[in-house]
Amino acid sequence: MTLERNILLAFLAGAALLPFVVSDQYILHLAIMALFYAVLASSLNLVVGYVGEFSLGHTAFLGTGAYTAALLSTQAGMPMWVTIPLAGLVSAVFGFAIGAITLRLQGPYFVIVTLSFAEVLRIVANNWIAVTNGPMGLAGVGQNLFGDVAVTDKAGFFLIVLGIAAVALYLSYRFVYSNAGRAAVAVRENRYVAQSIGVDPFGTAMQAFVLGAFLAGLAGGFYAHYISFVGPEVFRFAFMATMIIMVLLGGKGTLIGPLAGAVIVTVLEEYLREVQELRLTLFGLIVMAIVLFLPNGLMGFIALRREQQAAKPTLNAAKERTV
Amino acid sequence: MDLFPQFLANGLVMGVFYALSALGLTLIFGLMRVVNFAHGEFYMLGGVSGWFVTNYLGLDFFSGLIVVAAFMAAVGWLVDRFLIERVRGQGEEPGILLTIGLSIFLVNGTLLLVGPAPMKVAGAVAEGPLFFGPIAVTKLRLLAVAVGIALIVGAHLLIRRTRLGAAMRATFQDPMAASLAGIRTGHVYAATFALGCTLAALSGMLLASIYSAQASVGGLISLKSFVVVILGGMGSFAGAIAGGLLLGVAEAMWGGYVSMGMVDVIGFVLVILILLFRPQGLFSIRTERA
Repeated sequence: MTLERNILLAFLAGAALLPFVVSDQYILHLAIMALFYAVLASSLNLVVGYVGEFSLGHTAFLGTGAYTAALLSTQAGMPMWVTIPLAGLVSAVFGFAIGAITLRLQGPYFVIVTLSFAEVLRIVANNWIAVTNGPMGLAGVGQNLFGDVAVTDKAGFFLIVLGIAAVALYLSYRFVYSNAGRAAVAVRENRYVAQSIGVDPFGTAMQAFVLGAFLAGLAGGFYAHYISFVGPEVFRFAFMATMIIMVLLGGKGTLIGPLAGAVIVTVLEEYLREVQELRLTLFGLIVMAIVLFLPNGLMGFIALRREQQAAKPTLNAAKERTV
Repeated sequence: MDLFPQFLANGLVMGVFYALSALGLTLIFGLMRVVNFAHGEFYMLGGVSGWFVTNYLGLDFFSGLIVVAAFMAAVGWLVDRFLIERVRGQGEEPGILLTIGLSIFLVNGTLLLVGPAPMKVAGAVAEGPLFFGPIAVTKLRLLAVAVGIALIVGAHLLIRRTRLGAAMRATFQDPMAASLAGIRTGHVYAATFALGCTLAALSGMLLASIYSAQASVGGLISLKSFVVVILGGMGSFAGAIAGGLLLGVAEAMWGGYVSMGMVDVIGFVLVILILLFRPQGLFSIRTERA
């Protein structure tokens, strides 16, 4: 717990220094996307890792947030400090409504019904031209932070997304180590035992689900302003696949895992651009290899190694105290 | 002129292909419990390999169909033995991720090899329309539907009347008891996966002879197949057929009377409603609940 907290704090502190050290715009762009994905992956991890149900509809909240921010900005000219939190709130409301319906279901049914909601929203975004401008999307989303103060360079956007990531990690941390978070883990491990000691599975799952939706909405709002364009493809399955891969590669049910997964996958995707045509084909193969050879993700692998280390009597005492 | 009978006929034609593809998925998803996101890619591979054997190898439609069936059965068998088997019994998640990876690999591998252009499978008969009263259907569609129905009947007989079919039913009732009785369950799982894969591929090839095959079509087909399986009830053979026809007709009606753009929303709305109000599926007798 403290180790996890310290690593997260060290990560955020290190990231905060980045724009002062690196001035390469391309690297800053990569760092922004990595943090954006880190927020998304952390929010998905609340559902997949702590509730233990596999949601394939998380793009619903990303997309809702992105469209909310884009509409508020293009129609009402609101600045970022208003639109991004509102994007999160609107997504949380959607999360509440969708969760109330979907969290009654479990296993493969939950998977399919969440996916259905995301698809319905995508098709609506594609066809409700009066509001969403259909497949053309909403272009020219403003980039002003307060009133007329505009964010002009990548370093500014980096600091904003870092702030959102800090909020996301803080809220996730507080949730996971609260009574509700522990109750969610109890439900994940054994639903009936948890119920027998008075945990309400639906209620705890709902809290995680709404929090996840809120964070994904924040990420979506940021995305709208950063890219300055939102189209129906924010609801696409490709986003979903990327998020899942990040969570599972890093290790679900840990706070550091999704963060590590987001950084690795973002860098890997860019690195594979070298082999342009083969890129996604290789990506598919890598995903399969992860499932087969690293089933609990990187954090699971590290935890296993730590256990093996701890089993050796020599290193024990010093290590145990830091854990 | 009232177009109702025409919409109904179009819907039933599409419904047969939905049913065929969903039958494959009801075996894989309903019985084997693999949430197979590569199902649409098997469908797509059926269309593309159908195009390859009819255009490049110069086979006629029916021998092409047989070659594609054999090829895709082999693909399905290998996928199960080398990939799915390793995550069997570990819940849904590894299977979902594995098949998502497989589907990314298959789509982009296919794009790399044949490109994104639509590919037309040479049909068995000419395109001319036939008229039944107010309904017009092309000969090609009629033939494809007939082949589709024959395949559905064939799959039914395979499951009900053969030793392999009996072994499948035994394995999915109780794998432990089946293997105690001397059934090699590993082979049965692989055979079931191969059969599901073949049905999807043949549906893809038949539709590619009417429309055309495209490397990127798989995602939507996977989703629609899931919709049909849930409509009909998990693992229910008759349910998959009825669900497929229902989805085909509902889409044709919606497209005809309401709006063409929102056609794909129908299936998802249906699935949300079904899971809320009748989670065991429309036609399932068993009361397996979500």
